[in-house]
Amino acid sequence: MPIQFEKVSHHYNAGTQFAYVALDEIDLTLKEGKVTAIIGATGSGKTTLVQHLNALLLPTSGKVTVLDRVIDSAEKPKKLKELRKKVGLVFQFPEYQLFEETIEKDICFGPKNFGVSEQEAKKRAHEVIRLVGLDESFLQKSPLDLSGGQKRRVAIAGILAMDPDVLVLDEPTAGLDPQGAQQMMSLFMNLNKKLKKTVLMVTHDMEHVLNYCDEVVVVRDGKIVTHVEVREFFKDTTLLNELHILPPSVIQFREMLNDKGFKLDSSIMDIKTLAKAIAKEVKR
Amino acid sequence: MKSFALGRYVPLDSLIHRMDPRAKIMAMILLLIGIFIPAGFIGYAVIGVLICAGVIIAKLSLDFIWRSMKPMLFMLVFLLIINLLVIKTGTLLATIWVFTIYSGAIMQTLYIVVRLMLMIVITTLLTATTKPLEMTLGIEDLLKPFVRFKVPAHEIAMMISIALRFIPTLIEETERIMRAQQSRGVDLQEGKIKEKIMAVLSLIVPLFISAFQRAEDLANAMEARGYNPGWKRTRYKKLTMQSRDWGLLMVCCLLDVALIGIAVL
Repeated sequence: MPIQFEKVSHHYNAGTQFAYVALDEIDLTLKEGKVTAIIGATGSGKTTLVQHLNALLLPTSGKVTVLDRVIDSAEKPKKLKELRKKVGLVFQFPEYQLFEETIEKDICFGPKNFGVSEQEAKKRAHEVIRLVGLDESFLQKSPLDLSGGQKRRVAIAGILAMDPDVLVLDEPTAGLDPQGAQQMMSLFMNLNKKLKKTVLMVTHDMEHVLNYCDEVVVVRDGKIVTHVEVREFFKDTTLLNELHILPPSVIQFREMLNDKGFKLDSSIMDIKTLAKAIAKEVKR
Repeated sequence: MKSFALGRYVPLDSLIHRMDPRAKIMAMILLLIGIFIPAGFIGYAVIGVLICAGVIIAKLSLDFIWRSMKPMLFMLVFLLIINLLVIKTGTLLATIWVFTIYSGAIMQTLYIVVRLMLMIVITTLLTATTKPLEMTLGIEDLLKPFVRFKVPAHEIAMMISIALRFIPTLIEETERIMRAQQSRGVDLQEGKIKEKIMAVLSLIVPLFISAFQRAEDLANAMEARGYNPGWKRTRYKKLTMQSRDWGLLMVCCLLDVALIGIAVL
């Protein structure tokens, strides 16, 4: 079952003078097993959108279908826990949700809430701590003694330990150093390729979108502007300009060369093919 | 949390909104003094009329006044019951099981309830029409004369304005952490007591950590910009008393004098 939004609106503070429409009758269908990037300017409604996926926010009107669960604005939903077990949401700056005395306990907190036994939870903690690039000696430390980047990894490990089918990430690499960001991205890609998890991520980094994602959803002022495959998206330079999106450096470089008289094809989006194409042009 | 009205500023444009915060704070104090002058129900009627006029001039809705009174409703009912049962003056009116109700108790209770309600409306009138920042400026100015007696006027004002500034931030933070823990399976509605305690703990600990972190960051940022409470500083916003502000104070003073008159006679 895919993830489907049908005419979903979300209003904050409805009925007061601070009323604000964050999502405006959105229609969106996301396929399972894909990596989808959600991009858009700050305040465009990205975070509001992803928080509907595990029913942290409920639609003001419309219908959200996630896996086999339907959340309709007309009825009051119950037993949201089951949905939240299947959809793991990593918040922006998730390091602020750590609270236990040891990292092991904090990672086990999520799984145990969803009814996983103590032993199983600990086993998972040992697995996921290595997945996020830390070693098992960390498990007995206090989460408060870690650096910002390490805290981030522990927080993400806490969500991974819940073993969700859908992984939703709200700017998972914001504030991480480039190597750390790359490590996290390849971790998510592994989860997608090997364990067939659906991954959705909010991001501002176009390099990540080009290199790791399958599809792009662009949100602007609470509306979906476009939903296409990544390569299609970066081919359309006029749309990119209109959305004030700075394309990845490979594409920028290609376009600069084209402006100077090169004739490079707009489907070239990686360094190797670009290098070959340039070599061909130069020889000609 | 969003519908919480008590103490909230209502951004409207009215005569009272534009008045000097110092005049408004002084007027509030004078009115509160007036409430405690034993002038009977005539006195309360006079104060009541004045406050009603204030509410109308400030363009506040009755609904807002009602909502700001709501959180105090429990206390009002509690006081009502206790007073009715405890005070034993006047003539015996009724006996219910072991409880007795006297005529004096009813009068006394009504007094207390009316007093409390008036106090709530008066303070609401101040907080709803004065921006928190203006309020702290006003408090600072009013405390100035006491600096001589080692009252740290500026520090108090700074503390109040920082506290006010961070209330919405902390509410936002709480909601954020709540949602983050909810996605980790925390259930604040259902569950056993032990689970609920754990749920509250998973909120409070991160909230405290981030509040302390914020406090430290703010202190460092203030120091880095050379903040020193003892130094003389100029203000961007200068408060000036105008004739309407003096007028308000005159009215309130006259009211208190009149109430004392009624009480003595």
